[in-house]
Amino acid sequence: MPSFAFALLPWSVTAQEQKGVTLSGSVQSDILIPKEDTRTGAEKKEDFQTNTYVDLNLQSTHIDAGLRVEYLEHPLPGFENDFKGWGVPHFYVKGKAKNVELTLGTFYEQFGSGFILRSYEERSLGIDNSLLGAHFVAHPFAGVQLKALYGKQRRYWDWGESLIAGADAELSIDEWFTSMQEHNTRLRLGASWVNKDEPDEDIFPDPKHRWNLPRYVNAWDVRANLNTGPWGILVEYAQKTQDPSFDNSFSYDNGHVAMLSGSYSQKGLSVLLQAKRSENMSFRSRRSMSGTSTYINHLPAFTLDHTYALAALYPYATQLAAGEWAYQAELGYNFKRKSAIGGRYGMNVKVNFSYVRSIDSKWLKWGDDTYYQDLNVQLTRRLGKGFKLNLMYMNQRYNKQIIEGHGDMIRSNIFVADALMQLAPKTKLRAELQYLTTKQDQGDWAFGLLELSLAPHWMLTASDMWNCGETKTHYYQGLVTFNVGSHRIQAGYGRTRAGYNCSGGVCRYVPATKGFTLAYNYNF
Amino acid sequence: MGKMIKTTNINKLFLHVVQACLLLMLPSFVACSHIDENDRLIEVKTDDQQPAPVPDDPSTPTPTSTVKNVLLEDFTGQRCNNCPTGTEVIEQLQEAYPDRLVAVGIHGGPLGFKGSATVKGLATEVGDEYYNHWNLEYQPVGLINRGEATNYVNWVGEVMKEMKQTSVVKMEVEAILNADKIDITVKEEGYDSYNGMLQVWLLEDGIVAMQTMPDGTNNREYVHNHVLRTPVNGTWGESFLINKDEKKNQHLTQAVDADWDASKLSIVAFVYSGTGVEQVVKAVVK
Repeated sequence: MPSFAFALLPWSVTAQEQKGVTLSGSVQSDILIPKEDTRTGAEKKEDFQTNTYVDLNLQSTHIDAGLRVEYLEHPLPGFENDFKGWGVPHFYVKGKAKNVELTLGTFYEQFGSGFILRSYEERSLGIDNSLLGAHFVAHPFAGVQLKALYGKQRRYWDWGESLIAGADAELSIDEWFTSMQEHNTRLRLGASWVNKDEPDEDIFPDPKHRWNLPRYVNAWDVRANLNTGPWGILVEYAQKTQDPSFDNSFSYDNGHVAMLSGSYSQKGLSVLLQAKRSENMSFRSRRSMSGTSTYINHLPAFTLDHTYALAALYPYATQLAAGEWAYQAELGYNFKRKSAIGGRYGMNVKVNFSYVRSIDSKWLKWGDDTYYQDLNVQLTRRLGKGFKLNLMYMNQRYNKQIIEGHGDMIRSNIFVADALMQLAPKTKLRAELQYLTTKQDQGDWAFGLLELSLAPHWMLTASDMWNCGETKTHYYQGLVTFNVGSHRIQAGYGRTRAGYNCSGGVCRYVPATKGFTLAYNYNF
Repeated sequence: MGKMIKTTNINKLFLHVVQACLLLMLPSFVACSHIDENDRLIEVKTDDQQPAPVPDDPSTPTPTSTVKNVLLEDFTGQRCNNCPTGTEVIEQLQEAYPDRLVAVGIHGGPLGFKGSATVKGLATEVGDEYYNHWNLEYQPVGLINRGEATNYVNWVGEVMKEMKQTSVVKMEVEAILNADKIDITVKEEGYDSYNGMLQVWLLEDGIVAMQTMPDGTNNREYVHNHVLRTPVNGTWGESFLINKDEKKNQHLTQAVDADWDASKLSIVAFVYSGTGVEQVVKAVVK
């Protein structure tokens, strides 16, 4: 194993700049040497598992080019079966002139908030829905940006049969009126359109009938974003034509989503309020697909991606097909230094409330079920020269039936204390204590972590997540991290629990694991 | 209002490429499909549903193949809310192909339920073993004559395709309850030589047990049919080799578990190899 790991070290690759050509890139290799664990059900299917990516990009004045090599032949646990493979799935040449840019090959793009088109890469979830084809961007006039694209979508090691075409126009109105600029006002209007051309296929609702499937699905999106002084408002609406699919049980209804988002940000104070209603907005390049692949669009999550282990134990996954009402309110306030509440060093308070609920066929009416609720309060305060404390309380409701397909509503309270202590000029110690209490699912959990940073190179981490409710299982982990230049190597041993790993409302089920881990990252 | 771009040579080249791209995209700009409510289902022609012509007509001197039945292994679970929808698809198929479709509900996998002190569970260790062996990813999922893992929305189409296939093995099975054991006789006839495995399973119908329904509620009165209770001749069966024109039969016995309702048992026998299921038959235990 180690020989393989070190074979990946790109000793021969160095950043270079010659005649206006720049080479940049990155290497990311995560390795697991798994062990069987009867206690958690962790399996050892292979001796060695790795997800390894090497990105290379060349940039010059008029031409850019790049590629990515992916080695996923023995992938880490929990990815879809078709994820396995290796090759060069990402490659492009981009021509740039003064006001235009054309990419041929694979590319990523997002129109607006992503309601009708978002192609992106999220390695932790195994998502890469890049498009292979042509992508064009033009700025014909000041304040005008036009985009057009055409291509096939990547699904692991295949290119889908559907053809995706799209166009987007964004106008920055404030660039046309000096009075708006003088008043610190920005207004952007956008409109997009996406067309999916998917070949017909035999899908039978019963042995005597087959579905008459639409070859073309069109989707469009309009949006307006106004910022003036501390105030901001974003309104966006998108609609999709008939798109019967596995996700929507072959419904011929249109899909739509509306979002209203308002914000206020003034020195020390920030407020965000937003609401979104979506219905039947699962938009895939393959109508009969289930799982996490082939999505053309993405709806932004109105729930936080928590980083504290127990706060992330029950993460929410956006219900694209069923639809949802989602609300989020966020308040941040900095109590000033040397004030009554702020004390000597000041204090930061953040309150976030997310609420997701089912919809009703009547547009403004709520459905019966709460899908998810998260109220959390975070206080960050420096208590002395070398001591910083972050406290969090979170109250959560997680509808396991809706999100995972089985189970009940889980109601939990989570408490987190995170202290950072400067022990010496180059030595820091961070300690986390977390506790989750619930009467449902597996009951209570406790978590503890110690992280010693020895600048500039070393970091030692030890943690344990303990189910003190039902299973009494310890999920322990020890990690040693070494940083030098832009290289980072992390070696560890531990046990992880089975559960969901989510990012932006998209989730992947990860089975329990146990074993040695090695991670290597390099950017150049 | 802004200024026009300078048409340098590079820009000219780009504009030409872009014009070509836009021209290629043109069909998509005008492409639109809307399907009215009355046009959403297309009736399947009766010819499409006919099984393959039966080649073993007695008048044919040397038949080389016979009608092939279809085994649908439904990997299901009591905690799987889409599984009752999959079962509805099976019921439609059973109605369309009453003599040729053999469905088996294999409870196991992540949404299987092995039971508690108060609630009856139908998942078995062997169900888990099959689920893991086939590297399945979700439930319900079906194997149709042990082809690729198939989502239930595609079961009808895949079963219809398989119904058009022929087989080189003809099979019969008979099962008789004798006190607390079942005497099973499996007969095979080779229309050509075949080398594979013979698998015999015991199923039970009419089991009333909890099932999570599509609306998320738990139905404690759900009736589970064709539930795999146990393999009769090992998890993966026994070696099976037959030559052209050879006739074979095997005798097996299976003890009846006290938890099973002996009046609702049946036996499924099938031969399979790495290329899939060659033939399958089913008989009610008499």
